[in-house]
Amino acid sequence: MKKISIDPITRLEGHGKIEIFLNDEGDVANAYLQIPELRGFEKFCEGRPVEEMPRIVPRICGV
Amino acid sequence: MAKPKLALYWAASCGGCDVAVLDTNEKILDIANIADIVFWPIALDFKYHHVEAMEDGSIDLCLFNGAIRSSEQERIAKLLRAKSKVMVAFGACACFGGIPALGNFTNRDDIFQRVYIDIPSNANADGVFPRTLTEVNEGELELPELFDTVSTLAQVVDVEYFVPGCPPPVDIILKVVDLFATGQLPPVGAIIASDKTLCDECERTKEEKKITKIYRPHEIIPDPDRCLLEQGIICCGPATRGGCGLTCIKANMPCRGCFGPPPGVVDQGAALVSAIASIYQGDTDEDVTRMLEEIVDPAGTFYRFGLADSLLKRKRIQKAEKG
Repeated sequence: MKKISIDPITRLEGHGKIEIFLNDEGDVANAYLQIPELRGFEKFCEGRPVEEMPRIVPRICGV
Repeated sequence: MAKPKLALYWAASCGGCDVAVLDTNEKILDIANIADIVFWPIALDFKYHHVEAMEDGSIDLCLFNGAIRSSEQERIAKLLRAKSKVMVAFGACACFGGIPALGNFTNRDDIFQRVYIDIPSNANADGVFPRTLTEVNEGELELPELFDTVSTLAQVVDVEYFVPGCPPPVDIILKVVDLFATGQLPPVGAIIASDKTLCDECERTKEEKKITKIYRPHEIIPDPDRCLLEQGIICCGPATRGGCGLTCIKANMPCRGCFGPPPGVVDQGAALVSAIASIYQGDTDEDVTRMLEEIVDPAGTFYRFGLADSLLKRKRIQKAEKG
């Protein structure tokens, strides 16, 4: 099955890619959006003081 | 003559560095006037295959922001390095690891467990984690490998210049562009910011530094004119490079070190521990114990932006022994 990759997705905030699979007729059989990025704020914020959160979590997205 | 070619990229980052470039407002037009931007995912529709098709060394300047925490980020760092004459670590994450490098207090397995299993809002009954290769009916899907350890850009590829800050302030961005446009880039390895510490540039009144208690924000209203550290508020100014424009200090907030260590300091966190220990008044074991208790999160505070670049680098990974 033919695969078209859109990598990276552009002109948005964040990281992503799209994989489009085409069948024998050239029609879209399926498409997948993948997010190839993870930093782990959910984990590494644990144990940090609550008053520091307003200075850490804005870096989840600076856009 | 063809315009020089400029590339911008984000790795493990938040996009704030890209927005800082846009914060140059109308000067962005000057940047576009002097250089052809050939890659900039946030703003322009070029793909990785476009970069792969370029000749090595054909990009004149690459402003690379974000830390390296996945195999994709490492691959693109190496790709852009090969294609670029001048590679700039742009922003605190690329220079020192930044906020994403707080992930070096943990590891991939623990991050996956928290993110995909433990968080109450998850709907993941099958306990699926991201995999580098997934078979689907139509074929295969690939994801990059998440590393246990976040690295700085310079730990992965050679870097010519460092532009610190979270994000780099507009005046420094324009200075970099100007140095590039006029062919006056400094010697390789230069950190394009101030050569002083933040304290040297801070305009607050400084007297003798002697503190007997360290305060958390809810315990004190900071005097806006007096050195924060002298008031017992942890401020990373003594071990942080200046050049930021004192943005946090002017908002009556203590420095958290996003400009990295000043000249001559190898380990920012160690320098901060030294600075605070030297002004804390107390000689008995009880005093020392009290001080240690008052500093709530020393490692996460003193290495807020610099863990990947520090001598510590990361928390030791304790894997279960395989029998």
